[in-house]
Amino acid sequence: MAKLDRVRMAGFLAALPLIGGMTLQRRQAAGPGLAMLSFLGGLAVGIFIGAVTLVAAGVPADDLLDELVVQVFLTSDGLAQTVVLATPLLLAGLSSAVASRIRFWNIGIEGQLWMGAIAAAGVALFHIGPEPLRLPLMMLAACIAGACWIALPLLLKLRLGVSEIVLTLMLSNVAYLIMQHLLFGAWQDPSGSFPISPRFDDAATLPGLGWGDVHAGILIALIAGLALWVLMERTRAGFHANAIGLNPVAARAAGIPVAATVVLFVLLSGALSGLAGGVIVAGTEHRLTQFIGINMTFSGIVIAFLARFNALATIVAALAIAGIYNAGGTLKVFYSVSDGVVVLVEGAVLMCVLIGQFFSAYRIEFARRPATVEDAEGEAA
Amino acid sequence: MELFLTGWLTSLPAFAMPLLLAAVGLILSERAGVLNMGAEGYMAMGAMTGAVVTLTAGNPWIGVGAAILAGAALAGLFAIATVVFRADQILAGLATVALGGGITAVIGRPYLHKTFTGLPRLDPGALADLPLVGGLLFRQDLLAYLGLALVLLLWWGLRATRTGLKLRAVGEDPATADVAGVDVQLYQAGAVLACGALCGLAGAYLSIVSSNVWVEGMVNGRGWIALALVIFARWNPARAILGAVIFGGADAALPRLLALGAQVPTYLLSTLPYLLTILVLVLAALGGRRKDAEPRSLGLAYIRQDRR
Repeated sequence: MAKLDRVRMAGFLAALPLIGGMTLQRRQAAGPGLAMLSFLGGLAVGIFIGAVTLVAAGVPADDLLDELVVQVFLTSDGLAQTVVLATPLLLAGLSSAVASRIRFWNIGIEGQLWMGAIAAAGVALFHIGPEPLRLPLMMLAACIAGACWIALPLLLKLRLGVSEIVLTLMLSNVAYLIMQHLLFGAWQDPSGSFPISPRFDDAATLPGLGWGDVHAGILIALIAGLALWVLMERTRAGFHANAIGLNPVAARAAGIPVAATVVLFVLLSGALSGLAGGVIVAGTEHRLTQFIGINMTFSGIVIAFLARFNALATIVAALAIAGIYNAGGTLKVFYSVSDGVVVLVEGAVLMCVLIGQFFSAYRIEFARRPATVEDAEGEAA
Repeated sequence: MELFLTGWLTSLPAFAMPLLLAAVGLILSERAGVLNMGAEGYMAMGAMTGAVVTLTAGNPWIGVGAAILAGAALAGLFAIATVVFRADQILAGLATVALGGGITAVIGRPYLHKTFTGLPRLDPGALADLPLVGGLLFRQDLLAYLGLALVLLLWWGLRATRTGLKLRAVGEDPATADVAGVDVQLYQAGAVLACGALCGLAGAYLSIVSSNVWVEGMVNGRGWIALALVIFARWNPARAILGAVIFGGADAALPRLLALGAQVPTYLLSTLPYLLTILVLVLAALGGRRKDAEPRSLGLAYIRQDRR
């Protein structure tokens, strides 16, 4: 009997918030103050854990603020580099935000990005179209390629109910291998042995803006952000999408065109990821290279989540995450910290914010009557 | 041809076991209603810890034990987030994968590419020289046999024991299980920890048995393939064996085809496991029996006040 009690104690410990007289109640909706508090609290704990991790990995604590804030946001060169890194991250974040609105889990942002990069590179390398139209054609090709790459998971989800999570992820790996196939084969730069394509013509590269390496891609990304904000917050389609995200069954019953809205938002998500790939090759790399998509899926999801799936907030979140990437690059060179630390910090922040939401999603009540004692006795009997 | 087949069959467990162990771990977690996307992260923890501990302690068995603990530790974090704090299981799973990848990259950095001696293989002499299946059946490391035994044990435990019944009840209808006196959170946390431990073991299999080295990114999507395998297996560990053999078999055939000097595009051929995964998911959906097998409360947070 005593042993049984001990087992039950372990159970209570596993359900820590339920211990003793505490019970949980779902909140209909948390007030703005509490929602903000639990979000910021989670964010603060996440950043703290990230900072401790960096110190543990060998970065002197005194340099932390300098590396993570001053160097990447408050110096002109540092900020320029952050903006360059933020350009594809913003598009990836928007991609995730659009898909998340209708509860479609796009875990294949990288794959769509690869296909977009390949399509844009194809237009550039084979000189498709007249020169003045080259860049618009590249961006269009990148969007279409990204949208095509998400079309199969979308179709299978709508028709057969196959989970899009695994599908989009598997297609990411396939896209990566297709890119490798090209870079180690037909598209390899003949003047060297590296797996990179030849450099694009000037007509196929996005013009710089005269500030570090910042290029016109950031304008494309910002325009996309604004357009999506209008679409998601100010149009009928955006309203429909919100309804579908909250409850697809009720949305259908209310006469909302569920399938059409889902198709529109998911294809948009794919197109935005593809555009991210096109912007990287045309703006930053000026050629197709191997490493442009690494971790873009997870970063996009983190950015969208931190931005609460709001297109304008995504801009801020993308800049913040780009700052971490920028600092990560420096830390790798000067303190020989693995660049995996960037993902680690992202993961810690996401996890802490997720846990923080518990406090706005549920109300913890302390029972005033001894009902739980009776319950416990009843159970033990 | 016979040489090719023999070699392929002998190498099959090295490719199938990690998938099988991870898939069975995921089945336990999902049968308890927790959608666990963290397998890739737990496997990375297992692979890295297994290699690092084997390198420092000098004994691969200690490495295997440490790998199991490391996988379970990361799963413990996931359990705190999802079972205790009821965080969104998909996002928490993605965060777990990132944490696993990040932690292993940072801690494992000094141990990259350092080779070590792994687990010994059995060598029963004449038996192993049987045509075709000799190597498959008798020339494996001990962990392959133990792993298979463990999977069969869990299959039996899940369908025939009281604990297995309670675990399944929690995944189907936590409110009913709760009323019947089953501690929902305890079973979910236990299932998630067991999943982490099994995935850690699967990771150890990759580093300690299959390759005797730790390389960043060596899990290489196997955790996600295991997730698809669960659907293929209709949440049944016995069917997962079949799935692991199919997937592992395809994986094992690739390097052998290339070694034969077959004129095939390497990278395009490497897409086969992923395309196979997609095909299998589609076939499973066309079969139409998926919804019957899926635990009904999979992915939903349960609090006692939800009871009706």
